[in-house]
Formats: sequence, C-alpha cells, structure tokens
Amino acid sequence: MALAVILFTAALAVIATERVDRTKVALIGACLVLLTQTIEQDAAIEAIDWNTLGLLAGMMLMVKVTEPTGVYTWLAIRAGQLSRGRPLAIVVSLATTTAVLSAFLDNLTTVLLMVPITFLLADALDIDPLPLIIIEILVSNIGGTATLIGDPPNILIAGATDLTFVEFIVNLAPIAALAFVIVTAGLYLVYRRQLRVAPEARKRVMELDPARSIEDLDELKRTVPILIGTILLFFAHQALHIEPATVAMTGATVMLLVSRQAIEKSLAGIEWPTLFFFVGLFVMVGALEETGAIDEVAEGIASVTAGDRSAELLGIAWTAAIGSGIVDNIPFTAAMIPVVEQLQGANGGDDAYWWALALGACFGGNATLVAAAANVAAAGMAARAGRPIGFIAFLKIGLPVTLVSMLLATGYITVRYL
Amino acid sequence: MSPRALSDPLLRDAHVLRASDPVGEAVRHLLHSGLPALPVAGEDGRFCGIFGEREFMEALFPGYLKQLKYAGFVPRSLEDALQKRSSCRAEPVRTYMNTEHIDVAPDFSDAQLAEIFLHHRVLIVPVVEDGRVDGVITRSDFFRALADRFIASG
Repeated sequence: MALAVILFTAALAVIATERVDRTKVALIGACLVLLTQTIEQDAAIEAIDWNTLGLLAGMMLMVKVTEPTGVYTWLAIRAGQLSRGRPLAIVVSLATTTAVLSAFLDNLTTVLLMVPITFLLADALDIDPLPLIIIEILVSNIGGTATLIGDPPNILIAGATDLTFVEFIVNLAPIAALAFVIVTAGLYLVYRRQLRVAPEARKRVMELDPARSIEDLDELKRTVPILIGTILLFFAHQALHIEPATVAMTGATVMLLVSRQAIEKSLAGIEWPTLFFFVGLFVMVGALEETGAIDEVAEGIASVTAGDRSAELLGIAWTAAIGSGIVDNIPFTAAMIPVVEQLQGANGGDDAYWWALALGACFGGNATLVAAAANVAAAGMAARAGRPIGFIAFLKIGLPVTLVSMLLATGYITVRYL
Repeated sequence: MSPRALSDPLLRDAHVLRASDPVGEAVRHLLHSGLPALPVAGEDGRFCGIFGEREFMEALFPGYLKQLKYAGFVPRSLEDALQKRSSCRAEPVRTYMNTEHIDVAPDFSDAQLAEIFLHHRVLIVPVVEDGRVDGVITRSDFFRALADRFIASG
C-alpha cells in the first residue's frame, strides 16, 4: 500500500511542478504500479473507466469536426459585436458565451476557441486583452461546473456513478449560475478602468464580418445539428437507458458519417494525450483502491468527522477545492472518487456527496494557473501572442474568485443538502 | 554520378545574423541578401536558428494572428497593427528566430535536400560543418534546378 501511495503522491507533486508533461507522469506512474505488481494487469484494466474515456473521445471528435466550419468563431465575433464596444456589455457577452459553451463543450476547447478572437476584439477596441482572457478562463471553469459534460471532474464523477445529465444540471447549474453572475460582476468592477473604449474604436468591432467567419456552410449544416441533437439527447439518456458515453460516441459516429472531412484528420483531432492521462490516472487510483489506501483515507475522514454529514460534505468540497488548486483537478478528483464513494455509501448512497466533490473540484480549478487544463492552455496561447499571464498575476484574481465561489458553494450545500 | 549533381552549384554564401542583432538590422540584411531567410549564430558563432520572411512577419504582426485559423472576417488593413508593432525593430532576432531549423552536413545529397523541401516548410537549408555555416541552399534555387533538368530531359 505504501508504494501505491508514494507513487501517487510523487506523481501529483511532479504534475504540480509542470516540469514534466502530466500524461508522461501518469503513464510512468501506471507502469510502475504494474511493474512492481502493486496492482495486477487484469485489475488495472478493470480500473480504467471506459465510460469517461468514451464520453471525452466522443465530445472531442464532435468539436473537432464542427470547428473547421467556423461556427465557434462566428459565435465569438457575434458575442463581441453584441456589446457594441461598451465595456460592461463586452464582459457580459464574452463571459456568457464562454460559460455557456463551457457547459456543453469542454472548458479547454472553449478557451482555445475564444482566446484568439478575444485578442482580435481587444486589438480592435484598443484595450488590454488580458482582463478579458482571465475572465474567460475563470467563467469557463464556472460554466463547466453546471453540466455532466462541462468539466473533466464532472465527467469523472459521472463515469463512476449512475448520476444523470439532468441530475447534474438540477443540482449544479443553480449554484454555477449564481457564482457566474457574482464573479462576472466582481471581475468587471476590478477591471473596468482597463476596459475603457474610445468611441472610434467601438466602430472597429462592428467592421468585423461574422458571416465571413463561416468557412464551410454545407459542412456546418451537416454537422452542427448533430452536435445540438447529441446535447439534447444527453437530457434524455436516463429515460432511454443509454449511458452518456454511448450518447457521445453515437453523436460522433453519425457526425463522422455525414462529414466530408477525411476520417484520419478528424480522428487525429482527438486529444490523445488527455485520454492517456486519464488511463494512467485510473490505473494509479486503481492501485490505491486495490491496496486498501482509499479505505484508510475514507476511514480517516470518517473518524475525524465522526460521521457528521455536514462536516463530511463541506470537508469534501473544501478539500477538493484546495487540492485541485494546488495540483490539477483531474487527478485530485480521480483519487477522491473512491473515497467519496465509501463515505456516501456509508450514508445510504447520499448523492449530495458527489455534488460537494463536483463543486469543490470545478471551482477549485480557478485557484491557480495550473489548477485546470483550460487555464494552462489559455496562458500558453496568451504567451504565444506576446502577452504572458504570470502565475502570481493569475493567483491574485483566481484565488479570491475561488474563495468567493466556494463560500457561495458552502452556503448552497448548507441550504440545499443539510 | 555525384550524389549532389543537382544541388552542388546551388550553394550560396549568406550573411550570418547574430542572435543579438535587432530585428530592424536583420531585416535590412535579409532584403540586401535577396534570400528568403538567413542563418543565425549565437555569441559563440555556432549556428542556432533561422530568421526569414515568416519570422519577420511573426515579429511584425500581432501574436494572435497566427492563432486564428482563418481571418477572412477581418476587413482591416495592417496599418494599425504595423504601427503598434513597430517596437519590434529593436528586439533581438533570437526572440523571433526559428530554432526548429533543418540543416545539413557538407556531405548532403540531392535526395536529402528533396526530402527536406518536401516535408518541411523551410525556405533555405543551411549547410553546417562543426557548428559553422558554410552556405545555404534556397528552395527556389532547388526548384529551378529541378525544373531546368526536367525540361531539358524532355
């Protein structure tokens, strides 16, 4: 058991340093627990959650196939133009677009789509792009909290439980929406001086021609309705007795069928490093479970809280937020899931435990620049565009945002579940 | 027949930029040379990168332009952008040079050059011996030599 714990902790520490690619770290960790026979290969294969991988792969494929149509660029430009160059309206429209896209696509994809257009809009408006980029990163993590498919921690939780798409929305969307409104308003107040736009610059945003951002209208007509249909199907997956992964993979398969793009190109768009990262993590967490380390952590938590439900729910939420902020919310959630499974099992299968974990892990993704994949990716794009976002500069905004979000989540958990 | 019957006469002398040279000076050398790119050497005189047309445009245009997959919806001239980015002329070449360069040793062959121009988007291939640049071969010279041979053999 000690070896599994040491390897997992070491992997988390190395991932947190960002010195070595996280996928390499997870795969090395998985190889080591297998080579040292901390976990047998059969058990390792069983530990891999194919529902999570299928859901991720299906959604990645659909985004990859629809992206070249230009539909997301169109959305981002329209969002910018709706504001007519007024600072508050720019913040609201870009933040809303980012949050809604993040709820139904993954956060990483959303920021990758939004960041270049935001730079372009800021350039046209002659304002500093970084406040807008930081707002987009933060609201993408908040928006992603709202649905089963919005954020990797939620996808992981869905893979481990029978919770449905609608249950995720019913339980998480209200608090995500509240956090979104309060955080966006707060960020606007913080940045409003940097977002002043000269009247002549406002006109420049309106010169952009969103219609010309649609690169392939025929492909858009073929593929985007399938994406929308798939999202709608998620709402009915429980009634139809279909797992979320099946919904996503069916949507992706139909899209590949009707798309005119080469299948090799579409399949190459799957973020294989992310999928292999998950595989490595599942094997490492499987080793923690096999060796009884998870039982010990769960028993330890239960003894500290003395089985007090309030203490456990809030403890899970805040531990997940702090852990996700320091490490990365994906491995942290992966390790917490079996612990939470035991705690909630001891409480008669109380689902509130899962919502506490989801809120902590997703909101915690805003604490630092390394806390969520979307943050890292957006910072990388900003650096390549010549405007790097410093770790401390992000922390100064991300940490208060996380604190506010978590205080709201604490109130929500208290009112709704305690 | 020599393994580089085609490319041997194509080897050109080229001014080697220093990584610390300002972009403005590098662009003047680039224009003066008539080549699409020039090799760059570090302070130790060893070859360390390439600065050419693409790198110059990267220095000049706003960084996000490269990240846009398509810009047909931007009905603007580049005047504003050029004004905003004019400060790049004082920045060192090392900030923008391409360090993922492809170079060949003096014993390169025609086939090796053809493979490089087929698989990589490079405009010149420096010939490097012991870290020093002996000369460069441009893609357009290589194409012209190939095309001349092709026409002549028909």
